[in-house]
Amino acid sequence: MAATKKHRRYGMVVDIDLCTGCGACMVACAAENNVAPAPERATDRTGITPMRVYPVHNGAPGDRRQTAFLPLMCMHCSEPPCESVCPQQAVELDEATGIVTQMPQRCLGCRYCMTACPYHARYFNWWDPQWPVGMEATLNPTVAPRSRGVVEKCNLCASRLHAAEDQATAEGQPMPATYVSACVEACPTGAMVLGDLDDPDTEAHKLAKAEGTFQLLAKLGTRPKVYYHSSRPWVRSLSERNAKEQAHA
Amino acid sequence: MFPGVNGFHWTFGHILFVSIFCMVGLVILTTAIVAAYRSWRDARLNREPRIRWQSDFHDLSDRERRCRHMLSGETKSRLCPNAFECRDCVTHPKFVELAPVAEQMVPVETYGMDFPPENYYHRGHAWVRPEENGTLVVGLDDLGRRLIGPPDHVELPAPGTQLENNGVAWRGDRNGVSFRVLAPVEGEVVETGGPDKGWYLRLRPVANKPTDLRHLLHGYEVSGWLRDELDRLQMLLSPEATGPSLADGGVLMEDLSKAQPGANWDKVMGEMFLEP
Amino acid sequence: MPSFNDRNLIPRGLERCSLQGFALRLAPWLLLFAFGAYCIYLCLRFGLNQTNMDNRFAFGLWIFLDLTVIALGAGAFFTGFLLYLMKWKALKSVINSAVIIGFVCYSGAMVALAVDVGQPLRAWFTFWHPNVHSMLTEVSFCITCYLTVLAVEYIPILLKNRKLKQIPSFLVFEFELHKVIPVLAAVGTLLSFFHQGSLGGLYGVLRGRPFAYREGFAIWPSTFFLFILSAIAVGPSFILLTTKLAEKLSRKPLVRGGVYQMLGKTSGVLLTVYVALKSVDTLIWLNKTSQAAGFTPFEFYTFKPFGTWILFAEIVLLGLVPALLLLSSRMRARPAVLTGAAILACCGVALNRFVLTIQTLALPTLPFDEFLSYFPSWQEFGVFAAVLAYGVLVYAVSFRYLPLFPDEKQLTAPVETEELEYVSRS
Repeated sequence: MAATKKHRRYGMVVDIDLCTGCGACMVACAAENNVAPAPERATDRTGITPMRVYPVHNGAPGDRRQTAFLPLMCMHCSEPPCESVCPQQAVELDEATGIVTQMPQRCLGCRYCMTACPYHARYFNWWDPQWPVGMEATLNPTVAPRSRGVVEKCNLCASRLHAAEDQATAEGQPMPATYVSACVEACPTGAMVLGDLDDPDTEAHKLAKAEGTFQLLAKLGTRPKVYYHSSRPWVRSLSERNAKEQAHA
Repeated sequence: MFPGVNGFHWTFGHILFVSIFCMVGLVILTTAIVAAYRSWRDARLNREPRIRWQSDFHDLSDRERRCRHMLSGETKSRLCPNAFECRDCVTHPKFVELAPVAEQMVPVETYGMDFPPENYYHRGHAWVRPEENGTLVVGLDDLGRRLIGPPDHVELPAPGTQLENNGVAWRGDRNGVSFRVLAPVEGEVVETGGPDKGWYLRLRPVANKPTDLRHLLHGYEVSGWLRDELDRLQMLLSPEATGPSLADGGVLMEDLSKAQPGANWDKVMGEMFLEP
Repeated sequence: MPSFNDRNLIPRGLERCSLQGFALRLAPWLLLFAFGAYCIYLCLRFGLNQTNMDNRFAFGLWIFLDLTVIALGAGAFFTGFLLYLMKWKALKSVINSAVIIGFVCYSGAMVALAVDVGQPLRAWFTFWHPNVHSMLTEVSFCITCYLTVLAVEYIPILLKNRKLKQIPSFLVFEFELHKVIPVLAAVGTLLSFFHQGSLGGLYGVLRGRPFAYREGFAIWPSTFFLFILSAIAVGPSFILLTTKLAEKLSRKPLVRGGVYQMLGKTSGVLLTVYVALKSVDTLIWLNKTSQAAGFTPFEFYTFKPFGTWILFAEIVLLGLVPALLLLSSRMRARPAVLTGAAILACCGVALNRFVLTIQTLALPTLPFDEFLSYFPSWQEFGVFAAVLAYGVLVYAVSFRYLPLFPDEKQLTAPVETEELEYVSRS
């Protein structure tokens, strides 16, 4: 069993040039992961958006202004700054998949991991999750809802990975090199690609190595497994805080 | 790290961490247990009176802890290191050797109060008088008597009680102010008296041990001590030194509690009877 | 009306105001505490949505409060260390007070922490499956142990109460416990050392936050050592201030003047060392650490109102200035300067904790992100007030009923001017 089980290193490549900012990925993510509707008092800083599309622009005035959209989720760092800070091992970098897992049932809700994350990809459940009557029927049975007071984040649709894995096992296949997460499935322009970054046959691997691909805040040494791609230099300059300053200057 | 935690495995870090944590916990626990065990032992060996006096003496002010040889003027400044147990003191015999107590040669100044020369006086205002039949009579000295006046209530130990030197001999209260008088000597209570009888307790000395009263004040030593005690009392009752005099026709007034109701009698009783 | 009198609970020989006066003075604090307790209830019952914290400002006022009171509470372990292990006998006159200050600070911080986490009932998980690489694990372990030590150290002071010590077993236990206190002082020193440090490490290890991230030695970033140093530097200052405040409020001398000089000098020396090391650390961070992470250090200070003045205030105004004032024996000898410098030093450490907690979170990391602001909700202030009021209440009650300052009785005794005459005519 162990011999046939291949370690994977799942990651994503997002082509910013293809993203229209429609937000379908955000909706799909929330639906897939049973994110409860935001209470009335919630703001854009207290809601739960494991996948979040940021509008960005080049800072230029008038008609020289260019806008792009940057979908931001957990970067699934190979050196996750959140993992080492959790006091009770609720965050784990899964060696077999490369996914940074958050275990809400272990989480104390101290939010130390949230301060540690430079990508702000972690979200706290400020409210009790509540669904309007009748909406429970639409809940995804493969994902457990999270209680109030714990942190959650993108887990690269682990339940979908498990399903794909189960199917592969049933067919006598090794762990799949790629599978479809909710956001990838929902994206109308195909801007997102998910797959094993180490497997030379996957598209994700090829795109990650392509010209114009970058990681966010690479200099922090977190080694993200989510890559971005753009042919526009000003978009690529968003990879570093410093570079942006220079680009604006 | 413990049972039922999925996916957990031990690392060197865990072992180091857990062992330090357990060590620290163990030290705290052991310390608490040692203290608890020792107090249990103390309680069993009935060391409470001695510990209580040790603790009280520790909390007395420097003024109250002055050595008797300082009060008598033999030395300029010395605080008692032995909790008034002169029988254990190495310095006390040296002082005695240098200036032996002159027996009743000069009249002892007692500032108009009644301090019979045959009695031995404790710093806590109790006296002891050895009787012909070998028993020891214990009473409250005249200064103590004038301080308290007629007590509202006195709680004497039952006959058969073993008293320790500097342990609590009896308790009482006057006008809601409680006080306790220290036992001037060790022994077994055989008979109790009271405020009206002029004596409080009759003790049988501890068996097989000759009664040793060296730790008590006797003879001319009483003068210096009394002077100091009156000094303290005056300051306690009228700190500005311009307040009412304690003297009434040359002697201390009879019932001071009654004469000076405005004073902080709780404090006065505490300080005069060496109870911090 | 039956006049209840608590005179028999007050240590003999100490002057305290009437029970009515005491109750009247505590009433506002009790009200504040009740309000704070209500806020705590709200947060526990309805969750942290009662606060103004959010996903970006995940830590707020409470963490700042925790870090500050724990730094100020360092006086407890450090005084114990100096008295029992270094044998600075003069500190005996403030040790009881220091232990209570420490107890109040640590237990208050624990309460704030319990409210601050989303699932307080899961706190024991840290002990069941700890992540030994996390600074927060180190903090949890050490604070739990040290709070136990402080509670055990509090017991002998409590048992010194006039009524309690009448009970023979209490008296004996107090006596025996007091004998083993040096062991606890040593354990407390070890624990405090590590958790003061790990509180600093908490932010220093955040690789993702270049404003807070520092390099260091072995597993500990430089903030680990700076936090220890700054805590032991202001600990004595805070003891000095609380004692002075107690003197002012009770209008009584409580300790001898030499003790203040000793505390002030200790603070001064340690603060000087701290300021020197903090400056070196800041220079290394500005020129190396932060640059390597891809951040221009002075960009951190381009957001109003967090300009470079904050760096200046922290290191010079509230660091170097009080350090030099406390170091000079001539300046220190003037009570106003001594108190002022101690206040500055405490404010300096509070500002340091503020910068590390609040400014770190306010600063953006992503290039397309913005500088954030946050203002605590009234519930957050309420919990803050509860901790403050709790401290005041515990200290006030302890001051009234326990012999906190062993020298008080002697210092308040009337001055012996000359031999008095008792017998007017003899």
